[in-house]
Amino acid sequence: MASAIEVAGVSKSFLIPHEQRTYFKEYFLHPFRRTQYERNEALRDVTFSVEAGEFFGIFGPNGSGKSTLLRILAGIYVADAGRVRVNGLLSPFIELGVGFDLELNARDNIRINATLAGLTRRQLDARFDEILEFSELERFVDQKLKNYSSGMLMRLAYSIAIQIPFDVLLLDEVLAVGDESFQQKCFATFERFKVEGKTVVLVTHQLDLLKGFCDRVLLLEHGVVSAVGAPADVIDAPHEGALVG
Amino acid sequence: MRVLRVVGVIQGYVWSLAKPLAYFGVLWLVFAHLLRTANQTEHFTLFLLIGILLFTFFSDTVGVMLPSIVHGGSILRRLAFPPILVPLSASVGTCITFLVNISALVVFIGIGRVSPRPAWLLVLPLLAELYLFCLGVGLLLGALYVRFRDIGQLWELGVQLLFFASAIFYPIGILPGWAEKVAFVNPFVQIMQDVRHAVLGTSGPNDVTAASVYAGAGGRAIPIALALLIFLGALAFFRREGRYFAERV
Repeated sequence: MASAIEVAGVSKSFLIPHEQRTYFKEYFLHPFRRTQYERNEALRDVTFSVEAGEFFGIFGPNGSGKSTLLRILAGIYVADAGRVRVNGLLSPFIELGVGFDLELNARDNIRINATLAGLTRRQLDARFDEILEFSELERFVDQKLKNYSSGMLMRLAYSIAIQIPFDVLLLDEVLAVGDESFQQKCFATFERFKVEGKTVVLVTHQLDLLKGFCDRVLLLEHGVVSAVGAPADVIDAPHEGALVG
Repeated sequence: MRVLRVVGVIQGYVWSLAKPLAYFGVLWLVFAHLLRTANQTEHFTLFLLIGILLFTFFSDTVGVMLPSIVHGGSILRRLAFPPILVPLSASVGTCITFLVNISALVVFIGIGRVSPRPAWLLVLPLLAELYLFCLGVGLLLGALYVRFRDIGQLWELGVQLLFFASAIFYPIGILPGWAEKVAFVNPFVQIMQDVRHAVLGTSGPNDVTAASVYAGAGGRAIPIALALLIFLGALAFFRREGRYFAERV
């Protein structure tokens, strides 16, 4: 089978200045002072591949580089070293509700968000009701999003995301704030993706999700891949024990 | 809801027209009636209005492009797309406002009984040059603003200085010769004087263009080349910086 995602030797570090120098005037006030930087290596030589049609899980403690990795896959961040190849249409679902305009109602946000994600006007018209129906937010459609709870925002965002055509879907920590019944609905869509042969990369802290849905999982610790393999092998194997939900 | 939104849009344009007109009113009162410098300039009303409309377009366009990357940061962190679209789309709004504002100019041209001339067509390439210049400055400052959050204050100061240095409300002919040469390095001054010349067609001591100051068509190339250079430099800088906007905003 062809691989949907190939990641080879990817490293990424962020420079963290010891003293913040975000004002131009500081270059006039202290022209000769050099800023000291600390290098935070978010990812170090990360290599893995995801097969087409695979349901791939990524987990690891907070700050281990999961979101950075996902952003690099999505082309939002540029890797310092290494190579990333994605075959097929990629749809990122990163950072819940960002890209929503909280001052607008759900109706307008669905239109803006879906357009940003690549739906044409005709596709949007055809799927608008489906989006709303899946989110079960019909009652609140004319309310401004600033009055939505985080759970409602997540419902809306996920309902839009699954209507975007994709071959590879990146999901970052999406189900954490949904209620029980919505989680069940999301699981149903997961099953559908599997049947349709879509590739899904899921980042989550919920181990039962990884065990329930993923073909393979990857454990990321301190920016390094510490294990890749079948969920049962990776999750239950003894490791640093830093897995805090 | 929809009616309210339409009313809101119309109100928005009315206000965008109010700002340059208010500027114009104040300057016109001071210079045409209190100081009477207007006597030196034919069609002073139109002369002033053209300057203000062009400068408002310039300062507004750069003004919206400057913070656009930082304000649009949440989308840049979520989707991968060419970041240049963010400042470009911001500039579309001020272009529309400018087109609306031109209607005010048309009214005053009618009042001033200036008859249409073929030279008016020259305004189009001049406006294209102005937009290019706006994009250059806007992209440069917009990319810098991601790194230095006080560029905004610096720009506010700069725009004030440019306003007074650009011969908007005084005839540029009152400057000594060397100062004229300095002033015309600024592409905005060249564009404004050329537009005034093309629209009003007056010839007098104040009908000064880059061509007359630098003696010849070759001299006209100086501000045009500068506008182009700023644009290309800004584009290259923006592309280089743009790779890292998502992690810096």
